[in-house]
Amino acid sequence: MRLLVVEDDALISRSLVDALTPLGNTVEVFACCSDARAALRQGGVDLMLLDIGLPDGDGLSLLAELRDAGDRTPVIILTARDALDDRVRGLDLGADDYLAKPFELAELEARVRALLRRSQQRADNRLGLGPLSFDPASGAASLFGEPMALPHRELLLVESLLLHAGAIAPRETLEGRLFGFGEVGSNALEVYVSRLRKRLKGAGLRIRTFRGLGYRLEEDDG
Amino acid sequence: MIEVEGSLKRRLGGWLVVTVGVLGLALMVEAWVSSQRAAARAFDAQLQAAALTIAEAVRWQDGIPQVVVPAAALQILATDSQARVFYAVLDDDGRTLSRNWPVDIPVAWQQALDEGGMSRDLTTTLGELRLHAQRVASAGWVTQLPVQVWVGHTLEGRRALARSLFERSLSRFIAMVLLTGVLMGLTMRAALSPLRRLRRQIRGRGADDFSPLAARVPKELHELAQALDHLFARQRQGREDLLRFTADASHQLKTPLAGLKTVSELGLRSSDPDEWRQALTRVHARAEDTSRLAGQLLSLARLRHLDRETALPALDLGELVRDVALDWAARERAAEHDLGLGSLPAEPLKVCVEGWALREALGNLIDNALRYTPTGCEITLHLSREGDWARLSIVDDGPGVADAALATLGQPFQRGGRQDTEGSGLGLAIVDTTARRMGARVQFANRSPQGLEVVLWLPLAKDEQDVTGAFAAGVNPGEST
Amino acid sequence: MSLPPGQRLRSCGRLPARCATQVTRRQPLVVSPCLPLLLLMLLLLGGCHSGDSRTPTDEDPLVISAALDLDVVAPLLDAFRQAYPQIPLRFEDRTTREVDDSVVGHLAGGGVEGEGTSRAPDVVISSAMPWQMARVNEGLARRLNGPEIERWPEWARWRDEVFAFTFEPVVMAYRLDLSRHMLPPQTHGDLHALLATQARWLTGKVTTYSPLSSGVGYTLAQQDARYSSRFWELVGAMGRVDTRLETTTRAMLEGLSQGRYWLGYNLLGSYAMVYAQEHPEVIVQVPRDYSLVLMRMAFVHRDAPHVEAAETFVRFLLSQRGQRVLAGQTPLFSVLPGVTGPYTAARLRTQVGERLYPILPNATLLAFVDPARREAFTDHWRARFQGEQALDEAVERGSGALAPE
Repeated sequence: MRLLVVEDDALISRSLVDALTPLGNTVEVFACCSDARAALRQGGVDLMLLDIGLPDGDGLSLLAELRDAGDRTPVIILTARDALDDRVRGLDLGADDYLAKPFELAELEARVRALLRRSQQRADNRLGLGPLSFDPASGAASLFGEPMALPHRELLLVESLLLHAGAIAPRETLEGRLFGFGEVGSNALEVYVSRLRKRLKGAGLRIRTFRGLGYRLEEDDG
Repeated sequence: MIEVEGSLKRRLGGWLVVTVGVLGLALMVEAWVSSQRAAARAFDAQLQAAALTIAEAVRWQDGIPQVVVPAAALQILATDSQARVFYAVLDDDGRTLSRNWPVDIPVAWQQALDEGGMSRDLTTTLGELRLHAQRVASAGWVTQLPVQVWVGHTLEGRRALARSLFERSLSRFIAMVLLTGVLMGLTMRAALSPLRRLRRQIRGRGADDFSPLAARVPKELHELAQALDHLFARQRQGREDLLRFTADASHQLKTPLAGLKTVSELGLRSSDPDEWRQALTRVHARAEDTSRLAGQLLSLARLRHLDRETALPALDLGELVRDVALDWAARERAAEHDLGLGSLPAEPLKVCVEGWALREALGNLIDNALRYTPTGCEITLHLSREGDWARLSIVDDGPGVADAALATLGQPFQRGGRQDTEGSGLGLAIVDTTARRMGARVQFANRSPQGLEVVLWLPLAKDEQDVTGAFAAGVNPGEST
Repeated sequence: MSLPPGQRLRSCGRLPARCATQVTRRQPLVVSPCLPLLLLMLLLLGGCHSGDSRTPTDEDPLVISAALDLDVVAPLLDAFRQAYPQIPLRFEDRTTREVDDSVVGHLAGGGVEGEGTSRAPDVVISSAMPWQMARVNEGLARRLNGPEIERWPEWARWRDEVFAFTFEPVVMAYRLDLSRHMLPPQTHGDLHALLATQARWLTGKVTTYSPLSSGVGYTLAQQDARYSSRFWELVGAMGRVDTRLETTTRAMLEGLSQGRYWLGYNLLGSYAMVYAQEHPEVIVQVPRDYSLVLMRMAFVHRDAPHVEAAETFVRFLLSQRGQRVLAGQTPLFSVLPGVTGPYTAARLRTQVGERLYPILPNATLLAFVDPARREAFTDHWRARFQGEQALDEAVERGSGALAPE
């Protein structure tokens, strides 16, 4: 993966390079907007980490330019301003995620990974995490390459979880997807989730519950 | 924002112009009418004198009136303005005894004429004439034949006199207006001079001079001066607060930085990689704390310098709570805790608050809970409605806080009575400040058997207080992450 | 504005210079309030000669109807022709009565007759001041304006319609023979005494203007009567010496020159002075007690066919240039201050002193043409002249206008 880091603080950009390179990425660092603009024009960038306060201009305007030009390259905004206004503005302008400085490297790595995965899925039109994959075209799920025979609602659950791969799939979204907007029992979703958990047992994947919030499909580190 | 709206001088000037204009118009009309009247009076008097002079010259000889027109009478008639003159001496039957150029005197006038005399305007081929007539009764011994003396002249003289009278009053009036204007200008200058003095004094002040004003002002400006003094006092207070806060903050930052310095120094002195590692670990932990402290200081400073004037839009508390919970649950820091959302009310709860400030406060509460509870603890956010208040609580099942420290939890640089933690003691102060700004109340309570509950009571938006279930739930919170 | 009338009259009668200071208070015509009047006048004027102002031609020249001897005024006319060669003019030298008739002649049925002769003259000049004033008062003159008009002394114009443009002293003249027998008269008193004491010599040898058949004579007699109550004694005395009445100064001068007359009273000084220069037997005496001054008046006729040319002529008459000719080449005496020449009012005043009593163009003159007053005056004059003492003093003094004012 080719990553662009637009950051004027040498210490931070250095640690970003050190943290992201071992994950198999090529990381290029630019300290100002104009250089980054030139690199973006060449294309082939998979993800950009964009600092908002730059010496020669606002990172947000660079983002706006990018999106105006129709470039969908995923962008994570880094902001030292501990201001959520900037976050909202950045997301409005088309940023995919944001991180407030100071951030933890682990957090950064996780977000980069999730974002890359999502953009990858968008690219080959297939959803997948670890051994699990789902083809929206055929509506079929497979585990370790073998098709899974799943009931309709479990298929929908797999698709929804994979759509949010790496992030929490909110409970309301899942319920809406599985049951429509009709009345639904409080533990109906939980029933389908536990069924799917059983099917995924041993596949290195787990579904973590966030009380009252939703579920997250994650790779089982342990 | 200071908007310049008109000018006092112009406003006063405008009023002056309007007043003088209306008054002047009335005066001018009056002057015109009265100068016309005065001219008419003066010239009518001359007409009368001329008529009398001619009447004097009427003689009766054997009962027959004879007239020898006196030259002086005609000169009186003509006046200095060389008007055309007309005279006629008639008997009561309208027969001409003497006259110069023919003017048809209406018969009705002739018949109506009596000893009192009459004055009339008459339009002739040579223009307008002012006529005056006098009836002279004879004192004849034999017969008594009354005689009518008609005199008239054209109106040049009257007009010229009326005009010059009018011009005189006009010029007097203009002079008066000019004088009034000048006096008004001077008065305004004098009246505005205290303001100018005040302005000069304020402009000449140093940037950090907040001492009370020392100026002599008229009664009308006293309130303004007082208001300025109050403003200065408030600014002085604010500045002192800021200085104290800055001092506190730098003290707070200095301590962890000093720690960082000593730890890294010790690590560098050693040649044992294990000790390096230990030192680095400590440095990392301390750096994390310090940056968090800096962030909180920033938030606090920002909260304290908020613009209070802007009206805030109402926002849905439920949506905000879910959003914040999702945000924090997804973070790596929360991975070891069970951060969850309790029950949310079915209908939206609208509050008028600054969204980012409430997020910040909630974030701090969650952060606190994550920080001061052991891993695996449950942290749950609850939201409910109680009367006109929204009750937002963060409950954990950690060790709680000593009862004695509960009261001071909200103050800056307090650490819940615990000096052992690495927290800054600012988190709850931010919550407290935010709550106060929002008109909210914060309660801290220990739970039994263990755990801490922090409750935020937020006032519902005014129009929302009695509306329930007005909004259908159609929000997909997943999209906001 | 309202001086006692007597005072004004007296000051006006004495001397033009002082009089001017009295009359300058006259206000300029106000335009706006007078607008309707002016419009009306314009309409009337327009209606009278349908708005056109013809250019004079040889067949239809500028007509000047004048009671002014052509040979006296010839230099002025020459100067005008020289200045405005494109304006042909016809100068009609007439008696004052003919001039007055010409002013109104076209009005009395002129339209019905439609004859070429009954057209109005363009410019009217006459020494019969009361008649001129009466015609102007009747609105038969055009109002003029322009720099010449504004420069013209206020006391010598009326309403800017009529202008007194000469300054001709009224004088006594006698034949040189007279001085052989008696002391020539220098004042009115001298004359009266002479007529009383020297009736033997003077019977049939005295001449004066006829107040009965000459406008000028009538005007002078009226004015004399206004200034001195003893004038009537003089009339009586003149009647007793069988004074001959003439209608022109020229006739009187010729009589003197031919020896028919020895003494002339109330001659126009302008003619007499010129005449005396060529006829040494005629002596001109400006009365030393008071001397009337006649001023010839000119106006542009309201119905003038050639308005522009007529106005040009009058302006020329009043201009520096015209007045210079008047002062230098005619004995008419220029009124305009600043004009130099042998014949100017200013020079005359330095020679004769302050006893010149000009007859000014003002409304008092209008009384003279009042028919009733005229009749009363001429009756009285005739009676005194013919020696009828029947009229008692009461009537004489009672008819106020006849008594000195």
